[in-house]
Amino acid sequence: MARMKFICDAERCIECNGCVTACKNEHEVPWGVNRRRVVTINDGVPGERSMSVACMHCSDAPCMAVCPVDCFYRTDEGVVLHDKDLCIGCGYCFYACPFGAPQFPQAGAFGLRGKMDKCTFCAGGPEANSSEEEFRKYGRNRLAEGKLPLCAEVCSTKALLGGDADVLADIYRQRVLTRGKGAEIWGWSTAYGKPDAPAAAPAPSAGGKS
Amino acid sequence: MAYDMTVWRRLLCALLTLCALAFGPAFAADPPPTDQALRQQVQPLNNAPVWREVRSGEAHFTTVKGVETGVLIQSGGQTWRALRNGPITLYGGIVFSAMLVLLAVFFKLRGQIRLSEPKTGRLIQRFTTLERMSHWTMAISFCVLMVSGLIMLFGKHVLLPVFGYSLFAVVAMVCKNIHNFVGPVFILSVLLFIVLFVKDNVWQAIDALWIRKAGGLLSGEHVPSHRFNFGEKTWFWLGVVFLSLTVGASGLVLNFPNFEQGRAVMQTANLVHLIGGLIVMTLSLAHIYIGTLGMEGALEGMQTGYVDETWAKEHHELWYDAARQNQGMEQTPGGLSAPAAVRT
Ligand code: HEM
Ligand code: SF4
Ligand code: SF4
Repeated sequence: MARMKFICDAERCIECNGCVTACKNEHEVPWGVNRRRVVTINDGVPGERSMSVACMHCSDAPCMAVCPVDCFYRTDEGVVLHDKDLCIGCGYCFYACPFGAPQFPQAGAFGLRGKMDKCTFCAGGPEANSSEEEFRKYGRNRLAEGKLPLCAEVCSTKALLGGDADVLADIYRQRVLTRGKGAEIWGWSTAYGKPDAPAAAPAPSAGGKS
Repeated sequence: MAYDMTVWRRLLCALLTLCALAFGPAFAADPPPTDQALRQQVQPLNNAPVWREVRSGEAHFTTVKGVETGVLIQSGGQTWRALRNGPITLYGGIVFSAMLVLLAVFFKLRGQIRLSEPKTGRLIQRFTTLERMSHWTMAISFCVLMVSGLIMLFGKHVLLPVFGYSLFAVVAMVCKNIHNFVGPVFILSVLLFIVLFVKDNVWQAIDALWIRKAGGLLSGEHVPSHRFNFGEKTWFWLGVVFLSLTVGASGLVLNFPNFEQGRAVMQTANLVHLIGGLIVMTLSLAHIYIGTLGMEGALEGMQTGYVDETWAKEHHELWYDAARQNQGMEQTPGGLSAPAAVRT
């Protein structure tokens, strides 16, 4: 079975925010929530690098570990999803997640946050695939339709890739060979741990430093 | 290499600053080159300075508005998760359960501490209505917070397997909301309680005797004290003043995410809340035990406001003596009331 992951190539991202917009539109995401965002380091000066970030669907997911009602589950493809019917809006997943992926429609006094929302890797939720109910709570289920996440699909520079980790690693390895350097993939060691699994690592200094 | 780079960069900065000073604002507008800009001149495609920034936990530029959206990786969550899910849950659970067992064993061995003399049937006032109201508001809200807090922390391990996901989620949701709304009530009652009771909990010379005799807990001997003995005073200062206020303050931080606190603040507040909460819950078991099952006549005082003279003499002799001398005087809060209050 494929193991789904995201890669964002910091050498390619041009901070167009196409992925952010596509995601928001595709899933009709609640107000105040952005499942994906682009962060730019050294903005506007030489050495600028941009990175698109959303839920990375971690291997040993911190959100899953701290949820007091245990509402997260992992699909066969390694996608980390949650059940909004169970979520109590305690915010713990937001405290634990290194990437700031879990978000809430409100930030009310007395901890009234509403149900947590985050990137689903375009894989919906526990409801029947492509049902009305599923769309309303989690957005479109593209994986069920045999499609990959829309953010990566629309990326004009192919900086953002989403899909089977082995395939992504091959593509990335090819890029690294072509440009000769820069094997790090940001966020990978945080999300997927030290690369001990075969083929998770694209190049010699595998897995990246962040 | 990296070291050399920073030295050169410093020199460059110093030079630029000098130029700026000498030639005025025209030069000052140039920002110093970034680490990454310098690095890629020497080593193209080496992004190490950028990866350091990614890891730094600092906020960078982003168009998405929200709490810490400019941060790429926040590492504190990992520490928080490890502590909360690890030692705090484990040892907190062990210590809390151990106290329950300890009290059960103590009760089995020692039984209820009974009065040595028969009751006189004459009652004297120990607590005013306001004092009792503040105590019970605090006690009831505390118990509600204790049960709901325990369910949020241990429910996943204890109740979830029994209740199943759907039912447990409803229970947890109710607990979370009750906890979050009762919390501020608890804080107010604690503040009122402290104001009402602080003057009788100031340490006095006689407390040394209580400490020397360990409160007579094991010997069964009655150690004289004023209105509150050293054990009660310790519970006041440690349990009510220090721990409850600490747990309350950290609870307020967690309870109002509308002020957009960052994750580091929330993680710390949760740890303080958890550790303080577990200690105060564990200690409260001993207090609840002695106030109900453990000692004859103790609950009566807080329930009705009046205690039997025998109880007063045996447990708080100096307070009792002073109260007797004041007989006939106007009723003072907590002091012996006028003879009218002596009921039969
Ligand atoms: C001494 C009394 C209290 C005890 C024993 C207590 C205990 C607990 C416990 C065990 C948790 C679960 C933490 C976790 O699972 O990580 C918790 C969470 C929490 N407590 Fe308390 N607590 C007390 C008072 C308060 C007060 C006074 C407030 C607010 C003013 C408060 C607000 C919160 C909040 C906001 C949470 C986070 C969960 C949520 O959002 O519902 N607590 N408390
Ligand atoms: S990125 Fe955050 S939300 Fe996504 S799986 Fe990892 S910890 Fe959970
Ligand atoms: S906010 Fe919801 S999903 Fe997140 S930890 Fe709390 S209950 Fe679980």
